[in-house]
Amino acid sequence: MESYLSLAIAILAAPLFPGIILKVKAFFAGKKGPPLLIKYYTLAKLLQKGSVYSNSTSFVFTLGPTVSLASALVVLLFFPFAGADPLFSFHGDVIVLFYLMAIGRFFTVIAALDTASPFEGMGAAREVFFSTLAEATIFTILILFYRLNGSLSFAEYFTGENPISLAGASGALLLFAIVSLFMVLLTENSRVPVDDPATHLELTMIHEVMILDHSGPDLALIELGAFYKLFFYSAFITHLMYPFTLAHGISNGVIFYIIIAIIYGAVGMTESIMARYKMNLVPKFILTSFALVFFAAILTMGVFQ
Amino acid sequence: MINFTEAILVIILLSVLFSLGSTRLLALVRIMVLQGVAVSLIPLFLKDHGTLGSGPIIFFQVMILIKGVLIPALLYLAVKRVAIKREIEPFIGYHASIMTGLVIILVSVFITNHLRLSLPTGQATLLIAAITTMASGFFLMMARKKAITQVIGYLMLENGIYLIGTALTKHSHTLYIVEFGVLLDLLVGVMIMGIILNNINTAFDDVDTTLLGRLKD
Amino acid sequence: MDTFLLSLIVLFAGGIFSLLTYRQFNLMKGAYIAITAIGCLAGLFSIMTPLQEPSVVVTFSRPWLHLFTLSFTLDALSAFFLIPIFAVCPLAVLYSFHYMDKADRKGSTGVNFFFFNILIASMALVATADNIISFALVWEIMSISSFFLVIYDYQKEETRRAGYIYFIFSQAGAMFIFAAFALAYSRTGSYDFAAFAGMPGTIKIIVFFLALVGFGSKAGIFPLHMWLPHAHPAAPSNISAVMSGVMIKMGIYGIIRLYAVLDVTDLIFGQTLLTLGAVSGVLGVVYALGKHDLKKLLAYHSVENIGIILIGAGIGMIGIASDNMVMASFGFAGGLLHVLNHSIFKSLLFLGAGAVLQKTKTRHIDQLGGLIKRMPITGKSFLIGSVSISGLPPFNGFVSEFLIYYGAFHGLTLSGSSFIFTMFGIISLAIIGGLAAACFSKVVGVVFLGEPRSENAAMAVEAGGTITLPMIILAASCLVIGIFPDPFVQSAFSGMRAIKVLVPVTAPEVAIVTANLALAARLFLGMLLFSLVLRKIFYRNKVIERGPTWGCGFTQPTVKMQYTATSYARSVINFYRPFVLIRDSYSGISRIFPGRTTYETRVDDIAETALTDQVVTPILYLLSKFRWIQHGHIQLYIAYIVVTIIVLLLFL
Repeated sequence: MESYLSLAIAILAAPLFPGIILKVKAFFAGKKGPPLLIKYYTLAKLLQKGSVYSNSTSFVFTLGPTVSLASALVVLLFFPFAGADPLFSFHGDVIVLFYLMAIGRFFTVIAALDTASPFEGMGAAREVFFSTLAEATIFTILILFYRLNGSLSFAEYFTGENPISLAGASGALLLFAIVSLFMVLLTENSRVPVDDPATHLELTMIHEVMILDHSGPDLALIELGAFYKLFFYSAFITHLMYPFTLAHGISNGVIFYIIIAIIYGAVGMTESIMARYKMNLVPKFILTSFALVFFAAILTMGVFQ
Repeated sequence: MINFTEAILVIILLSVLFSLGSTRLLALVRIMVLQGVAVSLIPLFLKDHGTLGSGPIIFFQVMILIKGVLIPALLYLAVKRVAIKREIEPFIGYHASIMTGLVIILVSVFITNHLRLSLPTGQATLLIAAITTMASGFFLMMARKKAITQVIGYLMLENGIYLIGTALTKHSHTLYIVEFGVLLDLLVGVMIMGIILNNINTAFDDVDTTLLGRLKD
Repeated sequence: MDTFLLSLIVLFAGGIFSLLTYRQFNLMKGAYIAITAIGCLAGLFSIMTPLQEPSVVVTFSRPWLHLFTLSFTLDALSAFFLIPIFAVCPLAVLYSFHYMDKADRKGSTGVNFFFFNILIASMALVATADNIISFALVWEIMSISSFFLVIYDYQKEETRRAGYIYFIFSQAGAMFIFAAFALAYSRTGSYDFAAFAGMPGTIKIIVFFLALVGFGSKAGIFPLHMWLPHAHPAAPSNISAVMSGVMIKMGIYGIIRLYAVLDVTDLIFGQTLLTLGAVSGVLGVVYALGKHDLKKLLAYHSVENIGIILIGAGIGMIGIASDNMVMASFGFAGGLLHVLNHSIFKSLLFLGAGAVLQKTKTRHIDQLGGLIKRMPITGKSFLIGSVSISGLPPFNGFVSEFLIYYGAFHGLTLSGSSFIFTMFGIISLAIIGGLAAACFSKVVGVVFLGEPRSENAAMAVEAGGTITLPMIILAASCLVIGIFPDPFVQSAFSGMRAIKVLVPVTAPEVAIVTANLALAARLFLGMLLFSLVLRKIFYRNKVIERGPTWGCGFTQPTVKMQYTATSYARSVINFYRPFVLIRDSYSGISRIFPGRTTYETRVDDIAETALTDQVVTPILYLLSKFRWIQHGHIQLYIAYIVVTIIVLLLFL
C-alpha cells in the first residue's frame, strides 16, 4: 500500500518541482516569477491542443514522445521513493533502468532526425555526444555503489540493512558521488551550464531544439517524461544525502520532499549564477564528473573499506 | 557519522581535480584557496595527534592565513595588476589533463599500497591524497603555458609535501620548522614572481613562458 | 552425429547442384535455396540433443592418408556455435534469390552459391574439429571459400584489392595458428586437442598468444581488423551478412575452445582479452561513427561487437582465475550469447544495407534519406536491428550485454589489478553502448528518416519478397530473444560446460536473472502500450495537420540543409582525436566573387595508417631493391629452381 501511495504521489508531484526552479530564478532576477503550478497549467494547455506534423515525418516521429515517457515511467516503478519499497525490484535493475533511459533518448533523437530539420539534427548530435560521456559517469557511480554495499538495485541501495548515504560508513566518498551525480543531473536534464532551456536561439540549444516540431499532446508527453526524469535524478541524490530507513511513513515523506525541493532550488541557483558553457567546454564538464566518481571508486581499493 | 578527515581529504582531491580542469585563472586561484585551507586543517583532525598545544595552534592559524589569504591575494593581485588574460593556456588539453588526473590517482593508490608503510588506519588516504596533489602540481607546472600557473603548480606541490609531512610524522617541531621555511620561501617566490611579472609586463607585452624560451642564447 | 554429417552432405550436394544447373537460372536458385535450407534444418535438428543434454558428446573420426586421423566432436560448445551457422545462413541464402538477380552473371552466381555452401559446411566443421590436422584443414577451406565469395565482383579493381587484403590477413593469421599448433605438437607429440592440457604453463601461454593473433585476425580484433572494412563492402551483402555475422565468430570459437582445451587459470589470459576487447570495442565504434559508407560502417561495428564478446570472455577468464564463479559464468554466458545475438542483428543490418544498396545504388549515407517511407519493411527491420545492436532493451543485444555487466559487477569485489580491469571493462562497455546508440541513431536518422538527399534515394522502392522475408524473421528473433531470454541464456550456459575449470551457476539461479530481465522488458512494453493508448486518447477527435518542418524562421529550406552524418558524428570523433586521424581539406574563398569551393573530410583508422606507413612502405622499399631477380627470362628461372633444389639437397 505504502509503495503504491508513494509512487502515486511522486507521479503526481513531479511537475510541481520545476516550478520551484523558475521561482528561484525569478527571485535571483528580482522578478515575481510564474505561479508554482505553472507546469500543470502548461500540461493542461498542451493536452487540449491539436498538433501540426511536418510533411517529412513518419511513424518514428510519434514514437519519440511515447517511448521517452514509457522509459521514464518504468524507472519510477523501480525507485523507492522516501524509503518505501518500490513496486518492482531485482538484483541488477539499475543496469536495465539506465539502459531504458537510453532507449528513450534514442527515440527522441531519431524523432528529431525524422523532421529533416538542420537545427534538430544539430541538437540530436549534441544530445548523443554528451550522453555517451554521461553514461560512463553513471556506470562508474554504480561501480562505486557496488563496492560500498554490494548491491545492484535501487531498493537494495537505499532500503537494505546497509544503505548508501552520506551518514554511512564511507560517507565521505559519497561527496564525490553527490557532486558528480548533480553534474550528471544537469547534463541529462538539459539544464544550465550544459544547456539553457530558456534560450531563444535554436543554434545554442540541445534538448529544446530536438523537440521543436512536436506540439500539443505529443509535446505534453515529452515534457512529462522530462519531469519524471529530473524527478528521478533528484530523488536519487536525495537518498544519497539522507537515509530514509530511520523513521517511517509521513515524516520520511515530508523530509524527502523538502530535500527534493532543496535540490531543485540548487538547480535554480546554479542556473541563476552560472552562464552556459561554450559547447566545446561541455565535454570537459562531464569528464570532470566522471573523474570525480572515478577517484572515489579508486579510493575504495585499499582504504575506505 | 561522517569522518571529517576523510571529508577534508575528499575536498582536497576534488580541488586537485577541478584545478586540472579549470579554464580560468581566477577560478584556479579560488580553488587554491580552498585547497590551502583544507590542507592546513588536516592536522587538526588526525586522531592520533592528540591534543594540541598553543604553539601548534598559532602555527596553524598562520598557515591558514598564509595559504588561504596571503598567497591567493598576491596571486589575485598579480592576475589583476599584470592584466593577464583570463584563460589558462594549456599545452596539454583539458580532457587529457583530467585523464592524466585519473592516471595519477590510480598510480598513487598503487604506490601507497606498494610502500607498505606502517601508517595508522585512515592515513593511507592521506598519503594517496598527498601523492596525487604533488604529482598534479608537477603536472600543472609542465602542462600550462603561463608563468603564473607554474607558481600555482608549485603551490600545489608544496601542499602535497605538507600533506606527506603530516602523514609521516607525529607532532614534532622539526616538521613545523621545515614546513614554515618552505612556506616562507614560497611566499617570497610568489612576491618575486609578482614583481618580475610586473616588470616583464611593462617591458614586453606578454608573459607567456614559451616566449621566455627565446631568451636562451 | 549422423544427422549432422547428413546435413553437411546435403549442403555439399546443393553446392554441386548449383554449379551444374546454373543455366536454368531461376530454377537453379529455387532448388538450391530449398536444398540448402533442408541441409541447415537437418543441421539444426542434429544439435538439439547436445544443447539440451550437455553431457552427450559424439565423435566421428576416420583415418586420412594413412598418417592422420580426421576427428570431429560435437559437444555443447560446438553446438552453441553451430546455432548461428545453421540458423542465419539459410536466411542469407533465401535472400540471394532476389538479390543475386543479374542474368548476365549466371556462371559466377553458380560458383558463388557453390562456395557459399562450402563455407557453411567448413564453418560447421571448424566448430566441431577435434584435432590439429582436421582443424587446420577445415580452417583453410573456410578461409579460401570465403575469399572466393568476397571477390564475386572481381571485375572491379576495388574488389580485387579487398580480396587481396583479406587473403593476406587470413593466411598470415592461419600461419600463426599453425605455428601455435606446431609448438603444441612438438611438446605433446599428439594431434589431439585433448593432449594440450598436459603442456607446461609457459608453453601454454605462448601457444595461446600465438593462436590469439591468428584467431584475432579472423575475428577482427583491433589492430588486426583491417581486412573487415575492405572485404565487407566489396562482397555481396548476403555474403557480408554471413561473414560478419557468422564467420568471424569462428575466431572467437577458436579462442574459447583453445582456452578450454588448455585448461588454464592464469590471470594474464583474461586481462589480455579484456583489454583487447575494450580497445576493439571503443575504437571500433568510434571509427564506425567516422565512416559514411554504409557497409564499411557496419564492418567497423563488427569490430565493436567482437570487442564486447571479448570483454565478456575476459571477464569470464578473470572470474575463473580469481575463483569467482558467478562472475565467470555470467561473463562467459554474456559473451557466448552475444555471439548468437550479433549474428542475428548484424546479418539483419547487412541484409538491410544490401536492400538499400540494390534499390538506390548508393553506399554513401549522406546521399540517402527518407527511405522508411519508400522501403517500409526494410526500414522498420533495420530500425529494430539498430536498436538491438545498440544494446537497448527490450531487444536481444541488451540481454547479452546485461549478462556481461552482471558478471562484471560481481567481479568488483576483487582486489588489486583484477578490480581495475573489471572496472575498466564495465566503463568501456558503458561507453561502447552509448557510442553505438549514437552511431545507429545517425544511420537510421540519415538513411531512413528525413528527406531523400539524392535522386536515387527518392526513386527507391521496396525490395523483393525474398529480400524482406529474411529481414522480418531476423527482426522478429531480435525481439523474441529480448522478451523470452531464458532458453537462449540457458543454452549459452550449457555451451560453456566445455570449459572444465568453470563451475557454472545452477540453472534455477540463471532462471531468476532471465525472469527478471523478461519482467523488465515486458514492463517496458506494457508502459509503451500505455503511453500509446494515452496518446490516442489525447488525440481523439483532433485533426493532425500537416505542414512544412519549422525552419526556425527560414522559409526556403532545401533537403541539402539537413544535418548530415558527417556533421552529426564530427564532435564525437573529435573527442577521440588522438586515436582517430581526421583530415580536412578546404579550398577556401579567395576572390570577391568566390568560385566553386570544396570541403573534404576523411576519418582514418590509426592502425591502418600505421601499418601502411611503418610496415608496408619500408618493406616495399626494401623489396624493390630485389626487383632484379625478376627479369623475365625463363631459362634463368629454371636455373633458380635447380640451384634451390641442389641447395636444399645439400642441407637436408
